[in-house]
Amino acid sequence: MIQNGINTLADSYITHPVAQPEDKMQFSEEAVAELEEIISHYPERKAACLPALWIAQREYGGHLTPAAIREVATRLGTSQTEVEGVATFYTMYNLRPRGRHHLEVCTCLTCAVMGAYDVVHALEHALDISIGETTADGEFTLSEAECLNYCGNATVVQVGDHYFPDISPSNCLNLVEELRKSEKYTPALLADSLVKIQTPGASLKGGGSFKAEEI
Amino acid sequence: MSDRSLTQTEVSLNPLSSERVNITIDGISLSVPKGENVIEAALNAGIDIPYFCYHPRLSKGDAANCRMCLVEVASTAPDGSVRKMPKPQTACTLPAAEGMIIDTNTEKINKDRKGVLEFLLINHPLDCPVCDRGGECPLQNNTLYYGASASRFTEEKRHYPKAYPLSAQVVLDRERCIQCARCTRFTDDISGDAQLGLLKRGSDVEVGTFAHTSFNSKFSGNVIELCPVGALTSRTYRFKSRPWDLMTQKSICSKCSNGCNIKLDYRMDEVLRVNARLNEDVNEEWTCDRGKFGHDYISSPDRLKSPLMRKDGKFVEVSWHQAYSLLADKLRAAGTNCGAIAGGRTTNESVYLLQKLFREILGSNNLDCRLDSNPLPASDPLFKKSLQTGMGNKIADLEKMKTIMVIGSDLQDEQPILFLRVRKAWRFKGAKVVYVSDHLTTDSTAVSDFASVNLIYQPGSEITVLKDLENALARVLSANTADSEPPAQLNTQPSEATGLSNNDIHLAASLLAKGEITIIAGKSVSQHSQYVELYQSLTNLLASTNSEGNLNIPVHECNSLGTMDMGMLPGSGPGFTKCAGGMGTAEMLQASADGNLQVLWVMGADPVQNFHNNELAVRGIENCPFLVVSELTLTETAKRADLVLPAVSIAEQEGTFTSCEGRVQKLFKAFEPVGSSKPDWLIVAELSAILGAKNLYFTFNDVLQSISKEVPGYEKINPGTIGDQGIFRTVPAAG
Ligand code: SF4
Ligand code: SF4
Ligand code: FES
Repeated sequence: MIQNGINTLADSYITHPVAQPEDKMQFSEEAVAELEEIISHYPERKAACLPALWIAQREYGGHLTPAAIREVATRLGTSQTEVEGVATFYTMYNLRPRGRHHLEVCTCLTCAVMGAYDVVHALEHALDISIGETTADGEFTLSEAECLNYCGNATVVQVGDHYFPDISPSNCLNLVEELRKSEKYTPALLADSLVKIQTPGASLKGGGSFKAEEI
Repeated sequence: MSDRSLTQTEVSLNPLSSERVNITIDGISLSVPKGENVIEAALNAGIDIPYFCYHPRLSKGDAANCRMCLVEVASTAPDGSVRKMPKPQTACTLPAAEGMIIDTNTEKINKDRKGVLEFLLINHPLDCPVCDRGGECPLQNNTLYYGASASRFTEEKRHYPKAYPLSAQVVLDRERCIQCARCTRFTDDISGDAQLGLLKRGSDVEVGTFAHTSFNSKFSGNVIELCPVGALTSRTYRFKSRPWDLMTQKSICSKCSNGCNIKLDYRMDEVLRVNARLNEDVNEEWTCDRGKFGHDYISSPDRLKSPLMRKDGKFVEVSWHQAYSLLADKLRAAGTNCGAIAGGRTTNESVYLLQKLFREILGSNNLDCRLDSNPLPASDPLFKKSLQTGMGNKIADLEKMKTIMVIGSDLQDEQPILFLRVRKAWRFKGAKVVYVSDHLTTDSTAVSDFASVNLIYQPGSEITVLKDLENALARVLSANTADSEPPAQLNTQPSEATGLSNNDIHLAASLLAKGEITIIAGKSVSQHSQYVELYQSLTNLLASTNSEGNLNIPVHECNSLGTMDMGMLPGSGPGFTKCAGGMGTAEMLQASADGNLQVLWVMGADPVQNFHNNELAVRGIENCPFLVVSELTLTETAKRADLVLPAVSIAEQEGTFTSCEGRVQKLFKAFEPVGSSKPDWLIVAELSAILGAKNLYFTFNDVLQSISKEVPGYEKINPGTIGDQGIFRTVPAAG
């Protein structure tokens, strides 16, 4: 943001940022601290664009609104169009609201062979939506995912930061019921884990159970 | 201001090394600067390499999007064997290195080019027959020379709605876009508004703005010219013409004093579009939107087509003969009791003859060209020394400056192309900028974005700010602490009077203390009521940094400087010569309001709209016993005239303008004047002849030759020397 005195942006040869007004900034103090920590690992602020977008996705309730993108641009001192370019390049950033739980069924080769499409159809039928859609009550969004690297336990379904292995057309309905009981908003959990994953030792959680309290 | 190690961005912007390397392109041995891109080396040597995304003025190294410029590269191993790189390389990002052997015309490369073009055309609609670019389209040309004759793609192409409105002026056709990123890099590298970007990915990539906001830029028109296909088109030119049906004439933009070189593309007597004309020293290859889209007045239906005389309160069309007779009678009757105001949009030739008519034939010295509030009388030596001389630096030299201070100017608005030059100095040449102003603008690009230090002070405190800056600079220089951190005792609390802290001022002073500086001062300095104090402070800043003469106060209208040079000032004749004093604009309007000025001739100016004291202007213009106005259209002033003389636009006459840096440039005539309108100089010449002038002028060249002979500073300027890039007038010693 341009103000009196020294302008640190002048030394970074970046172009004009359209700044988010101070009072419209939504990152929490912890989020700002987290972002600054990540930025400190890079030579340039804008290099932290991807984690910054994950933080924004978490802070803005699961998807990147224009305001979220603008806040990232402002905090990184770069242009909002450039950040939008990044956000729209990667498919894992949500540009539209998702359901409270985003069911991503792997339909890549191994899972497909193991009946992933039967799972998809079962879910479509149970939730009364098609791939890419969100239920009317805003609870579930259903998508196909490319290989989730869990082929040993095909078919695998990812929900937020959790992997659910060995899903079949019948047990997928239990999963849905358990998820309904969970209080959490799982897309934000995913965003959070992906920010934390920058820390050594962290990884996505995977496991056999699908108990609501674990999600 | 701590020294940082160079980041990647800066490295790629570093100037080419002076070291030279030997490379071979298509068997031709060349010696080129080390690190020069192979494509540049080849093009300079006249070897053709097709390209789309490469552009010499955009930053290199982050493009290589189009893959059109592929070449084969080999190098000689120490044992003398030649080793080829297995894959072709993009010549636009390949730095020349010793011993490189490049082939641009092998079977493999030709096959690759065919392949690249086939890919580029997969999603391309090929609607050439209705595409604005058709006929001047690099994609058409390269496909013709290097492409396959047919496509093997039978699937459906991607589709988007046509004519997506990026802004009021620029229309986007996403189907035609080949994702070269020239337009997006322009907004990053050159204009700085950074509004265009490539969104999405793969075959979905599209050019767009953030969240579909309007592409709000003062330089948006340039991307239309940069786009190598017909994806970006001009709303005003869309579907108006095919390029081969256009005639082109060289001209000079009349929208500000920068003197940008432009091309008028016209058909019959209608200007359909304006493109930039290359002049490395003025506008390079850019235009601003005012220049590019603001010339519709030339072919406006409101243009006056014949002289208008007021009869019983109404205008009636009359012949030139009637108009001249009436005007001559009135002027004879008025004696010396007449005056003239010429605006800064009239040519040198017109004002030169106008002041000659008044001074030499009518014996009146009531001449002026200034409508802005002017802090100094024209006879003041300081006026001549500062406001009348033009800029201290040449536009092209600004980019060589290491420290630039911009004060009191929304430069991107007042002098858009000068702004681009300052931005270039910062972006590509490492200049540091200090910005001093009483406000920040809301424009999408501004000096404050890249200024290393911004001093945004309380309105009205400019004198104090500059004094503080002077003192701080003196302190820094005497302590020779330019690089040191601010002394601990410096107050970071903003002062009540200026809103700036001692620390802010110290930061700016430290930057200015580093060596030679240059200052660009805007309207709010040149029209300031305490201009003398400001001028003094600015020259002190320059003096203490050994930068005397580097003060640039650009004038505002396209020929403001020329009008003053030609002597359109009370008490200042052609080339600053001394002459008898007379009334200035304000006095003339006052005299006219009081009924004491018999005839007032207003040429190419609209005091009712533009004079700084509107009330006086209206009274003066309405009460004038006989008001004659030479204009293109019925302006507010012309509506109140007794006689209106139809003048011509830049497209319909030859003439010269003197830009803010003192470069005299020529307007070339594109087509005949509309109706019976005439160039201002011809109107004055014919009237002078009627009034008994001894010297007669029949052509533009006659007048320019006379100027060359009689106006000090213009000796070198004549029809033979002026060329199409203009030459500098010299600043005569103030008389
Ligand atoms: S951009 Fe060029 S190749 Fe494409 S439709 Fe237009 S003229 Fe034809
Ligand atoms: S719109 Fe034109 S300039 Fe911009 S990326 Fe597409 S082809 Fe290139
Ligand atoms: S010109 Fe080299 S890749 Fe486009």
